[in-house]
Amino acid sequence: MTTTPPILPTYQAKDFKSDLKPIWCPGCGDFGVVQGIYRALASVGRAPHDIAFISGIGCSSRIPGYTTAYGFNSVHGRALPIAQGIKLANPDLLVLVAGGDGDGFSIGGGHVPHAIRRTLDITYIVMDNQIYGLTKGQLSPTSKRGLKTVTSEYGSLEAPVNPLLYVLAYGANFVAQGTPADMAGLADVIEQAIRYPGFSFVNVQSPCVTFGMEGQQVKAHRATMKTLASINHDPANRLAAMDLAQQYGQSLHTGVFYKNPDPPPTLDGQVRERQRQLAEKAIPRERILDMFVQK
Amino acid sequence: MSPTPSIDFTKLTLCDALDLATIIEEEAKERYEEFAHQMELHHNPDAAAFFLFMLKIEALHEGRIAGRRRELFGDAPRNVRRELIFDVEAPEYHEVRSTMTHREALETALRAEKKAYAFFDAAMKHVADAEVRSLFSELREDEIEHAGLVEKELAKLTPDSKIKAEDVEDEPIAH
Repeated sequence: MTTTPPILPTYQAKDFKSDLKPIWCPGCGDFGVVQGIYRALASVGRAPHDIAFISGIGCSSRIPGYTTAYGFNSVHGRALPIAQGIKLANPDLLVLVAGGDGDGFSIGGGHVPHAIRRTLDITYIVMDNQIYGLTKGQLSPTSKRGLKTVTSEYGSLEAPVNPLLYVLAYGANFVAQGTPADMAGLADVIEQAIRYPGFSFVNVQSPCVTFGMEGQQVKAHRATMKTLASINHDPANRLAAMDLAQQYGQSLHTGVFYKNPDPPPTLDGQVRERQRQLAEKAIPRERILDMFVQK
Repeated sequence: MSPTPSIDFTKLTLCDALDLATIIEEEAKERYEEFAHQMELHHNPDAAAFFLFMLKIEALHEGRIAGRRRELFGDAPRNVRRELIFDVEAPEYHEVRSTMTHREALETALRAEKKAYAFFDAAMKHVADAEVRSLFSELREDEIEHAGLVEKELAKLTPDSKIKAEDVEDEPIAH
């Protein structure tokens, strides 16, 4: 610590915490996730009114309401298209999207590849608990094979979706994973994702304490997790990232899997540029009617 | 290794240390407030009442340290930010359950006090300033006192029933 006056960031984590108190089950992993988001946003330093936080439906989709950002708890599986529309309409906004594994990889699964290929500058945080918690414990797209739930009494016969591999295969330029078992690491990957210029994806292994598996709880994470930094993973190496991502469901790796060191242009940036070019040839607003009125 | 890598304990001044101690208590106080609310929401008045009791203890402690800081350093700017710490004295979010018993709530708080003791104990090994060392030693002893308070409360309780909430829950847990 120095004796000179510090340069303090403009915002603190508490500035992003709304007056609404979360109603998740006590012990839920999402409590940690929202704390990680507050801290990441404080570090990024954008004002709450410069942020739009969009979600779908599910326990984790309540998150926008627990922040002071503008929020839209929207329609099941449709958070990504809404967020893309918002970003295109107002590219100056910092746009965050949150949801669960069911919202993102089942009903909303078809939107993920398009958000990735369009490369809008938005951050998608998935709270992956491998179960439909809000509706009382049905199989979700990331539930492991053999899992017994109310909808799979004798054990699931389906292989799970691997969210990390899914987004990497579609060409996502920033892919990370975190867990509330490592709060500092979680806040860090969320911050890196927000700062990344383009579509960024963070899979958070966020345990469901009511319907989730014992092996998916925070204590188990802490006992088994391995940071990617500790195994000297190079986040610029996409193939190595895909190799590690294949271990989803068997090993818990946290940190940045892939970060394209040469981010492609974002769609919102390109749209702005196109608008600027077209604006030069555009008819002035006061002459718009001339296009439709015969003289 | 430093107990919180984001803080350089070797450079900590007394003013910084008092600020750090204040935010540690503030974090714990807020966590107990959140837990009390969660328990009220989930119809667990015993655990809620206990977490409110802990909130008051942490608030008193926070007030005492903050008062001392004001007395010694007035309005000197704060170098230590809340964002530097995670769950030092605050029990972690995953430690509570809606069905937890009064005893389990006390055990959660006891673990948190012991965790805070371990933090100051580990931090002392990295502290260079004599005054800071003395303060950390004092705070470490405070944690023993707090743990003692909780243990006293624990001793008053009758043992929990052998039937756990999970045994009678009608909702299936995935397995």
